[in-house]
Formats: sequence, structure tokens, C-alpha cells
Amino acid sequence: MTGFAPFLRKELTEIRRTWRLWVIPGMLLFLGVSSPIIAAITPALVKSVTAAQRGVVVQLPPPTALDAFGQFIKNLDQFILIAIIIAGAGVISGERSSGTATLVLTKPLSRGAFVVAKLLSQFLLLVAATALGTAACVGVTSVIFTGVTIAPVMTTVALWLLYASLLVVVMTLFSAAFRSRGAAAGAGLGFYLFALLLSNWGPAARYSFAGLVPAMRDALMGHALSLGWPLASAIAAIVLGTAGAVWVFDRQEL
Amino acid sequence: MTETTGGAPAIELRGLSKSFGPTIALDHVDLVVQPGVVFGFLGRNGAGKTTALRILAGLARPTAGTAQVLGHDVTRASEAVRQRIGFLPDVPGFYPWMTARESLEFAGRLFGLDSATVRTRADALLEMAGLASATARVGGFSRGMTQRLGLAQALINGPSLLMLDEPTSALDPIGRREVLEMVASLRGRTTVFFSSHILADVERVCDAVAILERGRVVASAGIAELTSRATAKQLVVELESDADAAEVARALAGRAWLKTIDTRERSLHMTVSDLETAQREIPSAIAATGAALRRFEIDEASLEDVFVELVDGGR
Repeated sequence: MTGFAPFLRKELTEIRRTWRLWVIPGMLLFLGVSSPIIAAITPALVKSVTAAQRGVVVQLPPPTALDAFGQFIKNLDQFILIAIIIAGAGVISGERSSGTATLVLTKPLSRGAFVVAKLLSQFLLLVAATALGTAACVGVTSVIFTGVTIAPVMTTVALWLLYASLLVVVMTLFSAAFRSRGAAAGAGLGFYLFALLLSNWGPAARYSFAGLVPAMRDALMGHALSLGWPLASAIAAIVLGTAGAVWVFDRQEL
Repeated sequence: MTETTGGAPAIELRGLSKSFGPTIALDHVDLVVQPGVVFGFLGRNGAGKTTALRILAGLARPTAGTAQVLGHDVTRASEAVRQRIGFLPDVPGFYPWMTARESLEFAGRLFGLDSATVRTRADALLEMAGLASATARVGGFSRGMTQRLGLAQALINGPSLLMLDEPTSALDPIGRREVLEMVASLRGRTTVFFSSHILADVERVCDAVAILERGRVVASAGIAELTSRATAKQLVVELESDADAAEVARALAGRAWLKTIDTRERSLHMTVSDLETAQREIPSAIAATGAALRRFEIDEASLEDVFVELVDGGR
């Protein structure tokens, strides 16, 4: 892991000084603020749309804090995971195509340190951005709604964070494996859709990381959770994916 | 800077081969580069120079053979090698959001240098590269500035071996001169291994060269030795008239030692395989035709003549 500390420092400075600071944190902050507002105005919006259509009557129950959190989690699951795929596709292939990997890897920086520093910086960014977005969501929800209970949303966000971290690892692996950013992004989207399909199949949902998706819904609703296999398999996949990314990159010629 | 190699050559390649599928990039290359020299690695585009440099820098693996740098096998002790080399790829890639100083300080930290050393070296190298006053981000640099910064970052660790891949190929004449002056200033302080297809650049700064053609080393020697080999084969004979020149050319045609003959008005430009015999037989042939000799000269050859002879002659 030679060169790990200076390369991690470079990664964190790069986040601070480039577009990377704004994309995922900016989206999470926006979703954290907008999700409770959208949940609050949805009944009024639906009413105004259906009022113009004769004979159509749609009645929605009054919105609650749970609707606000549900909206937030749904948005995380769609927009942020896609953003992770797009941003992660170039994390290694971008350094390779721009020639920066050649310059740093002819110095005493090991390829393992290169990959692990990339992963760690992405995790740190994701955790900080998720904390920011969640805090914004809880804050705005508390202002708009009454009866806010934080524990279920915290559990749900923690599960989402684990799932998103797995996707970060998978994208780093694909970015190491494919020379083209587009190919890595395509493979990442394929993985995302495959995992989504798996999450709807009972046995896979019970015994694999795909079970984190239904577990998020259950956690938010306050249902009892059986997380042993999904948690263990997600953590195992993160560890194996990291080792795989290092292995793949170590064997590549630059 | 240090030149210590523990008595081992700076670079030693033995039977080094590299294939990409059916394409052979390097074909049993044998090469020794002694410490302390500025060594030119010559070859046409596609001859295999960059592939060899990538193997030496630990970016690629050989298909067969061995590559030793400063006494270490690059495939087994790549970290020990990287600690002691400086490498400039043909197109250096920098993080565009960094300044020149930040790029050098980052490179220094990757070598584990302490902050004070990094600052001192960055100051000196920015001065040497003419970038001391450059405060803009590297993303806005010209090609020449990027190349000079590339050379500076390759020197941040005071390398025992500096490897430069086509450092001047895409530069304008002024940028080229600046980079060559930087390379020349390193003579005696570190070993420089410098790939190029620009013969004038190599002739200007290098002490010794190897010529690579289709993945094979076809010559390796000091520049003076290499050009003297060719010097012995170039002759110019000037006669009193054009008619004399034509008649002598006819008289010499078919001699075993005559490789080429080119008649230019009253001069004959010849390439010969056996200088001694040519020196004996040409005057007698001139005398036999009754022509009058005005000048007989062994021509000075340039590195370009040697290169063309070795590379084009083998086609």
C-alpha cells in the first residue's frame, strides 16, 4: 500500500476542487429538501389535476412524515444510484485515458493503494453527502409535518448507504476492468437492473445483498427485519469486489 | 542526484520480447546502458521504443526475456525500481486542477519525501523548467510548458535513471530547444535514457545510442564510434570534367566493393564496403581512363546516414 496517504489526500483535494464536490452532495441536498415538500403538496397537485376531468375523483389521505421519508428513499434509490454509476464509471478508466495513471504509477504508488484510495475517498464523499441530505430531509420534514420519528429513517438510510457502497465498489471494479468509461457505465447499469430484478425474487432477497432493497421498505415501515444474510453478503461482496478491483487493475498494462 | 547502481548497468535487457497477439513489438532485444551517460534510443515510429520504455517503467510485462534497471529485475522488484527512476511518457498526463507547484509537491510526496525537501526541490525544478512564475492550473498549460513540467516531475526524486519517451516529438523549435537544454544539463549527474525518432536531437545531446528497427536492436555504440563506422564507407571523388566523371563511373561499375555510386556533374559520391581496396583501385581506374583527379575525400557521415543505412538498408 505504498503511497496510499498522499494519493488519498490528492483524491480528497480533487473532490473539494472539482465538479465531484457538487454532483452527488448537491443532488442529495436537493432531494433532502425537496422530498418532504413534494410529499406535502402531492395531494393538492393530484386534486388540481383531477378537478379538470369530469367524473374522476381521487382521494388521497393527508400526507405524513412517513410519506416524506418514503419519497426521499425512493429518490435515493433512483437518482443517486444512477449518479454513482455514471460518476464511478470514469474513476479508474478516466485516469488511464488521461495519462495521469501512467504518471503516478511509475512512482512508488502501488496499484492496490491507488484502487483503495479511490474507493475510500468515494465512501467518505458518499457518507458525508448522505448525512447532509438526510439531515436536510429530517429538518424540512420536522418543519412541515408533525409526529416525526427519526429511528426508522436512520435505519433505512444506513441500509441504503451499504447498498450504495456496494455499487461504488462494483463501479470501481468495472472501471478498472474496462478501458472505456462508456463500457463501464453500461456494465454498471446492467448490474443495477440485475440487482433490482434479484430483489423481487424471494430466495435471492432472503440470501443475498439484493435483500437490502426490500429491507429498506420494511425498515421505513417499522416492520421486523431479518438482515443476517443480506448484510453479510453485502459486506462480503464489498470486500471481494475491492480485492477483485485491485487484482484486475494489478494485471493490466498501462 | 545520484549515479549509484552498485556496479550494475543502469539498464540491461537480455532477450527481451513483447508480443501483442500476432504482432511482435520487441524481438529478443539485448541492450546495456552504462551509468552516467545520456543514451539515445533511436527508431522509427512503431519500432518498439515506447513498448521497451513501458516495460522498463513497470507499466507492461515482457512476453520473454529479462529487463533489469539499476540491478533490479523490473518484474520482480518494481517498487525498488520505481523509487529510483524518473519517467516522462510521450504525453504526460497531469491533474488539470493542480498548479505546477502542486503537481511537483504531489509527485514528491508519492516518493515519501519530507515537506521541506519537497518544497526545496520543487522550487529548484520550477526554476529549471522556467515555470517558477506559472501560477495557472496545469490544464491551461501549452504543450511545451506541460513537457517541461513533465521533465521536472521526473526529477523530483533525484533519480539514478531518467527515462524520457519522445520528449521533443510534439514541440515547436523553441520548446524543443528548451527541453534538450534541460536534458543536456543533466549530463554527468544522472543516467538519461532518451527515446526519439528525431536524429538531430539525439546527436545533439546523447553520448551513445541504440537503433531499434522492427523490435530488434540493429546497432548500439557511442555516437562517435557509430558515425566513424559509416564515415569509412562514404567517398567523394571530384574530377576535372563531367565527361571524366561519367567515364570513371562506368569503369568502376561492377566492382565488388562498390555499393552505390551517384554521379553529380563532375563528382562521384560512392558508398563502399571495403575502403582500403577502394582507396587503391579508384586512383588506378581514374588513371586508366585518362581522367584528371581534382579531389579525393572520405566524407563525414552523420548519425542520420548511419540510421538510414541500418534501417533503410535492412528493408
